[in-house]
Amino acid sequence: MVQISRHLEEEITVCLMNHFCGSVIGEFCRIAVEFLKKGLNPKIFEGAARKLSVSTETVQHGIEGLMYLLTESSKMMISEVDFQDSVLVLGFPEDLNKLLLQLYLDNRKEIRSILNELAPDFPHYHNLEWRLDVQLASRALRQQIKPLLTLKLHLEQNGRRNANVLQTDPATLLHLIRKLEQALGEMKTNHCRRIVRNIK
Amino acid sequence: VEVQPGVTMRFRFCGDLDCPDWVLAEISTLAKISSVKMKLLCVQVMKELLGDGIDYEKIAKLTADAKFETSDIKATIAVLNFVLASAGKYGVDGESLSSELQQLGLPKEHATALCKSYEEKQTALQDRLKESSLRLNKLDSVSWRVDYTLSSSELKEVNEPVVHLKINVRNVDTGDVEPMVVSVTANKFRVLLAELKQAQTLMNALN
Repeated sequence: MVQISRHLEEEITVCLMNHFCGSVIGEFCRIAVEFLKKGLNPKIFEGAARKLSVSTETVQHGIEGLMYLLTESSKMMISEVDFQDSVLVLGFPEDLNKLLLQLYLDNRKEIRSILNELAPDFPHYHNLEWRLDVQLASRALRQQIKPLLTLKLHLEQNGRRNANVLQTDPATLLHLIRKLEQALGEMKTNHCRRIVRNIK
Repeated sequence: VEVQPGVTMRFRFCGDLDCPDWVLAEISTLAKISSVKMKLLCVQVMKELLGDGIDYEKIAKLTADAKFETSDIKATIAVLNFVLASAGKYGVDGESLSSELQQLGLPKEHATALCKSYEEKQTALQDRLKESSLRLNKLDSVSWRVDYTLSSSELKEVNEPVVHLKINVRNVDTGDVEPMVVSVTANKFRVLLAELKQAQTLMNALN
């Protein structure tokens, strides 16, 4: 069950119950979902407050209360029954409860994917460029034949990209490939298969 | 030659490897539009590969008749992009490409249209691919100045020439030009010049 804090309960109840009829609350629900997807826009609070002749704070608390309800419920992926029980506490009319439940079910997948992006980001693979060269001579030594592989590994973290330039000889490259193939091969062992089966 | 399920076929335009599954799947999407429209799409994709940018509006117009969804349009561009770039990468000639695409189920008209588009721009494409191959930072330009040092805080009479070199390096990632300034004494400079001339001789021998 979503533990709706006392304070939040009061906010949502006061704002929604006493002031507004169903269609307005429906509009608030739509705005709450928009804000979750695209970010807050304080001007909307002011505009709505003016139209409904209430304070900006009232509108803000009402919408923020709805946003919190949706994010907490989506975060914990609570079942329909649990959601309905949580909302029952607020003492809303039956059709409002239905509306909130539908709002939750329609949007939770998208809200969860947005929440997923808030996890800390490690540098991850973006692109790999490579080039095969043969070194024929250097300042110190002529008449060489030395194959070299130059790699540029592009990584991305928090939207920022950086590139690492690396160089290796064919033997090390083969070793690298073998190690990576071994790592991939781990997925096929019984141990990993058992765990993956249980997660699914 | 028909593609039998379970038999892996090697394709030259895929670098003598199997054709990726997604490419195989999208070839059937390509068959849904007329070969004329497909040729026009190829022209757009080729423009993009040559670095001239792509006109998405034109593409949307071309695919409007076939009632393509956005994902279909993206898939079509992706498969044309793959086929043309990959053929260029492995240096496949137009006829072989056409034959391989027909083996994968692309109708003859479409294959011919695609390969004509490819052949027209094959050299330009390969030049462009060569240019965009991995390069570390590039030398942009060099400027120099020869000074004659008369005196310094350490020694009253110096009387020596010195070369100031400004080497402008272009950062391949950001495109910015970063200057590197070095001062070189006469003797050191002579050594530098001799070594660089030797490197130049080696390079010319290979060209």
